[in-house]
Amino acid sequence: MDRRSFLTLNAAIAAVPLTGGALNALSHAASAATLPPPIDFKSSLPAPGSFPERWICGSSSCMDNDDPPVQVHWYNPHTAILRQNKAYSYEAPFAPLYFGNERVLLLDEGFVQLRNDWDLRGVVDQCIEDWCRRNGRDPASLELLVAFSHLHADHYAATNQFADRSNTRYMGLTHEEMVGFWGMTNFPEERVTLDLGGRDILIWGSPGHVVSEFAYYDSYTQILYTGDMFYRGRCYISFWEAWFDSMKRLIDFCDTHPVTHVMGCHVEISKDGEDYAYGMTYQPDEAPVQMTVQQLREAWAYAQKITAPGIYFTGTVFLCNQTRGTTTIDRNPYRYS
Amino acid sequence: MAQNPGRNTGFSGSSQAATGRAYPNGNPALGYNPPGVRNTDSAMPLHRGKPVVHDYACDGPAPGSLSLRWTYGSNVAAKNRDPRVQVVQYNEDSFVLRQNVCVHWEAPFTYLLFGNKGALLIDSGATANARHYPLRETVDAIIARWAKARGRRIPPLTIALTSGEDIAQNQGLTQFAGRPDTSIVPKPLALMQRFHGLANWPSGTGRIDLGDRVISVIPTPGAHRDGVTFYDPYCDFLFTGDLLFPGKINIGNDGDFIASLERLKAFAATNPVKWLLGGHIEMMFVPGKYYPRFATYKPFERVLEMTPDLIDEALQYAREVKGKDMMLIRPDFVLFNGVSPDQRTSVWPEGVPNINPPRPF
Repeated sequence: MDRRSFLTLNAAIAAVPLTGGALNALSHAASAATLPPPIDFKSSLPAPGSFPERWICGSSSCMDNDDPPVQVHWYNPHTAILRQNKAYSYEAPFAPLYFGNERVLLLDEGFVQLRNDWDLRGVVDQCIEDWCRRNGRDPASLELLVAFSHLHADHYAATNQFADRSNTRYMGLTHEEMVGFWGMTNFPEERVTLDLGGRDILIWGSPGHVVSEFAYYDSYTQILYTGDMFYRGRCYISFWEAWFDSMKRLIDFCDTHPVTHVMGCHVEISKDGEDYAYGMTYQPDEAPVQMTVQQLREAWAYAQKITAPGIYFTGTVFLCNQTRGTTTIDRNPYRYS
Repeated sequence: MAQNPGRNTGFSGSSQAATGRAYPNGNPALGYNPPGVRNTDSAMPLHRGKPVVHDYACDGPAPGSLSLRWTYGSNVAAKNRDPRVQVVQYNEDSFVLRQNVCVHWEAPFTYLLFGNKGALLIDSGATANARHYPLRETVDAIIARWAKARGRRIPPLTIALTSGEDIAQNQGLTQFAGRPDTSIVPKPLALMQRFHGLANWPSGTGRIDLGDRVISVIPTPGAHRDGVTFYDPYCDFLFTGDLLFPGKINIGNDGDFIASLERLKAFAATNPVKWLLGGHIEMMFVPGKYYPRFATYKPFERVLEMTPDLIDEALQYAREVKGKDMMLIRPDFVLFNGVSPDQRTSVWPEGVPNINPPRPF
């Protein structure tokens, strides 16, 4: 199937009545007889859910870390959030796993490549199997979409673990393939709808940290996933104008859509606003990953006053405006006069 | 570029070591009886009738080799199964201990030296927890073996730090609390000065007598306000801690830093120095490239040892950064003055080949 048409095609299949004459609809109808009714992702929104009090967050000695390579947290029965262990990679990105009636969306694949180093594929397969068992589905019938928020290795390193998985599509590692994967022709303004089977994910471009980045909004939990362009830590802004426009797009979206949480890919800050320096593998007092729309708005208000490169603290996040290649926040603690 | 010759003649720089890459089978031109053979009193006698006492007097540096590879962590730190403390014996009376980089990213070096009347532990590692970093256990085992092989009682142990305030070097001290026959140099600056007899800090030198092996203590503040350098006249080593090591040198006070390097230079002019051994390695084996902070996988590290000509180089470039908030890259070290330890620069030193080393994934 053409990359660009599969979004709309899936919607078309859903529109065919179960008694319809189309061949593939017949086979659908045959299997549908044994399936439980589809899960309703559209009423009584937002679907309730919860984040953990505390994520696993590394340890003072990495080689004595006993935590699993990936922490799996079920936000609600149809939404899992994965996090890589800091002792496996200091980037320790978060990765939502959204379940729909027909397909599953995995956003981000961590910063370790090989399956024998960390079995992300096995963890995702297990999540899908668990979900299918709970909901009376066949895991083979669910399509897995392996996508990522943006084109940085700490978000796609493990993509190849899914190369031999059946019924799986994964995003290519170029800007063209990424934009094409979501069927966009007018990046970043165009907003497309991905139908996971009754559960819509809204996707649009969000460049600024890098050129190739998306924002993802799940209409079921109403979580807005902002990738690395806005997260609880150091937002490294490579392209200020593009980032500013992307922020405006996020704010406009929040003005017109209900958003329960704003969620980024990392946490690099403590509950008290202390910076965890780049590369740290132990964050014992880290802040929650989820942010409020209010915090996003405050950052936006702050950003409007920024006119020069530098590091700015909005109260929630650090905006590192074009400082990635020059400096960071912390100082030499042993400096004396 | 003035590359130091130690780089090109192989890893160890020791004349006939099999790991000297330039001469894997030995170099006949150096002769069969180089000066070092006269300094091998520390080699254990085959048959000993009474407790072995060493003669630490020697013409040149005592022979020894650091030509083993340091453990270098792993891509997934949680899965590392290397020793937590790597022990390399430089010679029978000098040991180099290194903390596993997957226990603590600073991977500091700790040195254990023996004399006829005592042992000296220089620095104590970055981790207090003995289960994660069993320094005391390792040191005790080395000392027990050393004493047994010589038919002697366990020698008293002195523990001194190149800097009392450096949390990458003072954390292991707590493991030695209550150890019998052990004196620990106190951490506070004034008490440390009194212990070493450095009344005119930062001038003068102190001494730690290990029994026929007298270690000099040279005040070298600059990276830390309480920094000291130890000199071992047996191996001809300077243990420079955080002052000068192949890595990112964070200058605490540039005036002190320059004065200390001048002091070291003067000391090296009147005392033979074979190598400088610092507290860490952060440089890669290609010139001017270094590992980021917190890295737990460093497969392409530079060697630990630095030749004494690097004191001059460090001095020259320390004067260049004095009074300026900047970083400066050199082939064997990087100076950070008044800037973030993660500062970056686009300025590449002239004449130094810019080689991109392989990056682990």
